[in-house]
Amino acid sequence: MYDFDMIERELVAASTEPLILSLLSKGESYGYELIQEVRRLSGDKIKWTDGMLYPVLHRMEATGWIQSRWVESENGRKRKYYSINKDGHQALKDKREQWTLISSVLSGLWKGQHV
Amino acid sequence: MFNLEQAIAEWRRHMLAAGVENPNVLDELESHLRDDVEQRKRLGASTQESFESAVQRIGQPAALESEFAKAGAGRGARLQRLKGAFLRFIGLTPPYPNALTASAREILELGDKEARGFHHDFIGTEHVLLGLLESKTGVVPAVLQRMGVDSRLVRSEIEKIVGNGPMARPGHSLPYTPRVKKALQLAGGEARVLKQPRIGCEHIFLGLLLEGGGVAALVLKTLGVNIGAAREQILLHLGRKERDT
Repeated sequence: MYDFDMIERELVAASTEPLILSLLSKGESYGYELIQEVRRLSGDKIKWTDGMLYPVLHRMEATGWIQSRWVESENGRKRKYYSINKDGHQALKDKREQWTLISSVLSGLWKGQHV
Repeated sequence: MFNLEQAIAEWRRHMLAAGVENPNVLDELESHLRDDVEQRKRLGASTQESFESAVQRIGQPAALESEFAKAGAGRGARLQRLKGAFLRFIGLTPPYPNALTASAREILELGDKEARGFHHDFIGTEHVLLGLLESKTGVVPAVLQRMGVDSRLVRSEIEKIVGNGPMARPGHSLPYTPRVKKALQLAGGEARVLKQPRIGCEHIFLGLLLEGGGVAALVLKTLGVNIGAAREQILLHLGRKERDT
């Protein structure tokens, strides 16, 4: 489902929704831009198989976290823009707490250890 | 000479042949493909190279189709699958479409949702019990209340015992544990004994209690619910409902 030469598949899968929600909380965006942004922010270490992002977006829209609209650009090209809504913000808040907790537990355990 | 428009039309036909039939989805993927082609051309690749890399990157039509199918599998399709699976467990095969009441079907759907909420990749007795508590139409919350058991307590007891799983929202349909299968069989038995034409929430509840070894039974036992009292309260509740209507 994903390219995972750098980060393990399950971890990439589990982080997809928090990543999308976090990016959308900064403003409306479309699939291609989301993929580019994640690739840039992760230094190319999180690589999605591009097309696989769209089923995830559609599922999140069906869940009621995000909504979409078609926007036509000046050159006549259409793009589907997604934006986060109230439930999405709540979901992001929950996920953020969970990820922060996991991260702080691991950081605590690794403090002073050298790998 | 490579023609981008022709190549994109050809690619759309491939996607369509693989089963990606929704024109909205195809438009969205095409929009992505065009963005990617443009980006690659800006970085110096030829149109043809750009197109070929972009197609590679977007993924195999068949793999995409199966992901979209999972994302789009609506409530109706899932209910249908659950129902078929349920009937096979209790030894009936469709055409006996009325073996489950509407609210019992809703319970199984809710149980599935509960399992996913815990990130579990199976449906256990605890998920079915939580489904029973969540149902608006079912008799179980009322019966529990009459027995002095707070539904919220049942949930917190379950959460104490089971933890969250590591899986991120499994997309495939979740299997029932052997204990759930057993409980559903026993529910069928309860319905037959009570001469009910279909299996309702109350029978599933009794089935969970009778099964005896699952998390659901364990929690109910801890909270002092026993099978005899539960049967009695259910009969009282159903009798009262009949008088009321």
